[in-house]
Amino acid sequence: MDTPRKTVGLLGGAPRGTPPRGKSRRRTDLTPYAFLLPGVALFCLVVAYPLSRSLQISFYDWAVVPTQESRFIGFDNYLRGLQDGQFWLSMANVGVYLVVTVPGQIAIGMFLAVLLDARLPARGLFRVLFYLPVVTSWVVVALLFKYLFTTDGGAINWVLHDMLHLVDHNVPWLQQRWTGLLAVCALGIWKGVGWSMVIFLAALTGVSSELKDAAAIDGANAWQRFVNVSLPAIRRTLLFVIVMLIIGGFNVFISILLMTEGGPAGSTEVPLTYMYKQAFDFLDFGYASALSFLLAIVIAVISFVQFHLFRDDAIGARR
Amino acid sequence: MKRTRALTVATALILGAAACGTGGGAGGQSKDPVEKLPPGKKVSGEITFWHAYGAGGNEVKQLEKKVIPAFEKEHPGAKVKPVTVQYDKLHQKLVTAAAGQSLPDVVRSDLIWVPELAELGVLVPLSEALPDFKKLSGQTFEGPLATNLYKGKHYGLPLDTNTKVLLYNDSTLKAAGVDGPPKTFDDLRAAAPKLAARKDFVLAEADTSGWNLLPYIWSNGGEMTNKEITKSDGYLNGEKSVEAVQLLVDLYKAKGLPKLVLGGAGATPAADGLAKGKYATTVEGPWIYPPVQKQYPKFKMKGAPFPKGDADSVSVVGGESVVVTTASKEKALAAEFSRFLLTPKAQKLMAETGQISVLKSLSEEMSKLEPSYEPYMKQLETARPRPTTPAWTKVDEILSKQVQLAIRGEVPVKKALDEAVAQIDPLLARG
Repeated sequence: MDTPRKTVGLLGGAPRGTPPRGKSRRRTDLTPYAFLLPGVALFCLVVAYPLSRSLQISFYDWAVVPTQESRFIGFDNYLRGLQDGQFWLSMANVGVYLVVTVPGQIAIGMFLAVLLDARLPARGLFRVLFYLPVVTSWVVVALLFKYLFTTDGGAINWVLHDMLHLVDHNVPWLQQRWTGLLAVCALGIWKGVGWSMVIFLAALTGVSSELKDAAAIDGANAWQRFVNVSLPAIRRTLLFVIVMLIIGGFNVFISILLMTEGGPAGSTEVPLTYMYKQAFDFLDFGYASALSFLLAIVIAVISFVQFHLFRDDAIGARR
Repeated sequence: MKRTRALTVATALILGAAACGTGGGAGGQSKDPVEKLPPGKKVSGEITFWHAYGAGGNEVKQLEKKVIPAFEKEHPGAKVKPVTVQYDKLHQKLVTAAAGQSLPDVVRSDLIWVPELAELGVLVPLSEALPDFKKLSGQTFEGPLATNLYKGKHYGLPLDTNTKVLLYNDSTLKAAGVDGPPKTFDDLRAAAPKLAARKDFVLAEADTSGWNLLPYIWSNGGEMTNKEITKSDGYLNGEKSVEAVQLLVDLYKAKGLPKLVLGGAGATPAADGLAKGKYATTVEGPWIYPPVQKQYPKFKMKGAPFPKGDADSVSVVGGESVVVTTASKEKALAAEFSRFLLTPKAQKLMAETGQISVLKSLSEEMSKLEPSYEPYMKQLETARPRPTTPAWTKVDEILSKQVQLAIRGEVPVKKALDEAVAQIDPLLARG
């Protein structure tokens, strides 16, 4: 990593030139650590310790009750995970979720951001309205969507079947794989679109109006101005949103747990719900921990790839 | 350089901290001799009692206002603190509490969890601890009692029992020209198209778990496992079991089973469908009466024996057991409270709210107390418990999933059950 050399290092923060006495020198050396301590302690307590403990558990046939002995089984849990079709199905499902919700949130978020960037009556009100789902509770809206997508008597089926007569029977939305995933994706997009909208909106406000005016004078229409002026200007923001949405997408949990419970027959399971089931339904904490590390490896690989794309883009932008 | 070293040290420290304790160090409570808890001793102190009695009916009220005060009156100085836990949450709460060593003194546990908790080593083996265990258990039905057995010891006493019978809507059946409730699998098959023609369903099953499935298998002469509950190969995938599951698959195909069976959210619940006349029959326990009567006062629900296939009508035993935990500091009081819950007095009080007593001596009185109990009492004579294994939660999930695939038509029944057996047998072999 090419960290700028000019920055004063954490170690040896005292300015050179004035040779300090031993005693005061030591004090300055310790000061930054004293400031770091609370943060580091908290990090160790709530992140590092559980993480390493979970790594340890993943190598054991873990006994839930402390008085019973856990058996060390090496990489058995990991091998089991690699051969577990249900785990890979859950990975495929989260893949579907990402493929649908990430572009969905970006496209709709961008569309709304462009609209609300223009001078519009009651612009503030619309901004609040579209952002509202972001701040609502996942549990509440997941239950709400569950009722919307209920087979008999759900609002969606009422519209499709009773009102518009588009289908000749009630669609069992949450009772089969693809429609179930679709419903969950719909919730994901609805809930997330406000967030990407706000980020895009902030970036769009920063796009120089002179550039846009210049393009307009050159005869570019609105679409051309968007594609050739605004979009390149907010490119970095776009990449940031993509990275955040992908990371967030892997964490999809509450909506699946509440809307389909990973069912029917495990067909809408995602990694987090599957792990949860292994740990808290089947008490197989070792296996659940191993799965969580397998997932972490997958996310690390994806992040690594993204990081490289990011860097290349940064270089490209500089040129 | 310096930074790397500091990082290494920090990592090592954290890992070192994590490495401490993989359990087993606390000296294995299970090896200690079991403390004897004789009856009639003077007890005092306070115990906590976790239960999942329904707050909707009068169960919680009856427990808190009548049963517990009666116990406390008989034992001055003793106090019982009841804690209501929602049924869906109780299993997880018990497991978490077991791991965190914070279990209450006494638990009213679903009978299917008792072997699992016993395997975790958190329950007092009552058959060893109570000198009068034989006397207490002798008063109860054998079916519910057997569910408390794990590796030769009884870890709980049955508290209430139930089973499922066929409930039906007379007018829906009549409207489709079906005479009376289906008595056999063939009756179900024959009635299905008649009801389907009116867009009604002959039978509503809410799930494909063992609780739903086993009555069909047993009533067709099939089995889930061998007697020792060590293997399911040749039983769960045996001819009679396959036939029983095939019945459900065929009914679903013929639009005789509503989408309710697919699980998940959505389809009209069995009780509502039955009361509204959409579902002609369903299979449910006695607890369904109070809410249905409350919500649909005009609807007269009727009960009949579970339909039979190639064997006699056999339904599944459900119910709860009372267990005492090893974590309890007041085991004598906990044991005394368990005894009290099994007295005719306490049993009758709870029976008034929909809890069928496990006492053989009260069996006659049950139907008088509540006429809707009658078919249940008859069905209980032949009803059987689900296989008692500590791995039941997982076994049930495997079975449920494979049968689900079969009903959806994704896998032939035989293949689905073969797959279930392949996954279940290693779990049963572990014991």
